[in-house]
Amino acid sequence: MRPGASQLISVLALVAGLNAVAVTAVAQEPRLRDRLLEPTRIAVDAILDSAHAEGLPTEPLVDRALEGASKGAAGDRIVAAVQRLWGELRTARISLGLGSSAPEIVAGASALRAGADPDDLTRLRELRTRQSLTVASATLADLVAVGVPVDTAVAAVIALAEGADDADYLAFRRNVERDIALGASPVTALGVRLGAAAAGAFSNVEPASSQGSQRPRKP
Amino acid sequence: MTEGNGWLDRAIEALKEPVQFGDAFDRHVMAEIEAGPGPRAWSSRFWTILDWLRRGRPVSVSPLGGLALAAGIALVALLGQDMLEPEVQGAPVAATVDGSVVQFVIVEPAATAVSLVGDFNDWSAAANPMQRVEGNGVWSVTIPLTAGRYRYAFLVNGSIWLSDPSAPPTLDDEFGRPGSVVTIGES
Repeated sequence: MRPGASQLISVLALVAGLNAVAVTAVAQEPRLRDRLLEPTRIAVDAILDSAHAEGLPTEPLVDRALEGASKGAAGDRIVAAVQRLWGELRTARISLGLGSSAPEIVAGASALRAGADPDDLTRLRELRTRQSLTVASATLADLVAVGVPVDTAVAAVIALAEGADDADYLAFRRNVERDIALGASPVTALGVRLGAAAAGAFSNVEPASSQGSQRPRKP
Repeated sequence: MTEGNGWLDRAIEALKEPVQFGDAFDRHVMAEIEAGPGPRAWSSRFWTILDWLRRGRPVSVSPLGGLALAAGIALVALLGQDMLEPEVQGAPVAATVDGSVVQFVIVEPAATAVSLVGDFNDWSAAANPMQRVEGNGVWSVTIPLTAGRYRYAFLVNGSIWLSDPSAPPTLDDEFGRPGSVVTIGES
């Protein structure tokens, strides 16, 4: 090989290397640098890159990694948790629609984690075309977290979808939690509060005749 | 009495001397009394009734009657509490939402330091130290939050992780520590 060609190859290799370093530097999440060991950070950064390329919100993934670091979890456990959340965010966005906001996608992911079916999220979107789904999806997850069976929680959240606003959902969830704390079974508590909602306790909720309620519609 | 208290004796004697006020003073006092709270004649019956109601008097109640009275008061107190409580209030809420400002509260009388850690502060124990409310073991911190769903926990004395007993728990325990969630609506 001629000396000139050799020098050219060296320069090209150097430029390529610098480019690679630059790309890596851009992809690194600075908040992870001092909180994760190098192999874990690299693996999480790779997931963040992929999520970013898909148009998914990456902040919840960073948060999950930082949570693991703060709680002293092992690196492989942190990577597994971030990877799992990445999959849930992806499914939630597909189910809710590409135009969904980041909070909606995060809350949708939590509903999926609770056991909701992706089709449930799609149904929720169809029923609440003009409102945010953040609180509705979160309510579903929260109800499951306090012991309501997932199918029952899904049915309740969908039953309220057309009339309830965010405040109604939050009040509904709090009331169910209170009833459970006072000794009611989760299913009973949910049934009582859903009946109250159907009877018009919520200002915006129509009696749920379309959901099979036997209560007469208020004039 | 010792010699050193002579000035005290003199002061006492001086205070015992009658004080003479002139006629002008007497007239002034009487004028003030006459101009006092105003006529009560038009409402004298009302004031009489009020005085009667305010006056204490013994009431005799049989043991059975006393028991019934106590039960009645307890019932009214219980029902009244339930009726006065707004429908939207649930179990004690540690994270209360006021617009986008959220107050987090936990009771830990034995703690020397409590931090709020969560998705909103990069899970940093230094970001939101909680303040002890004087005298009762309550720790509190208030932070602004934008719409979203946040995972969080309380870190007690830098090493003990606690979930919020009054908030929904996280659905999983991926890292072996308890946690809670709070949701802020977008609308």
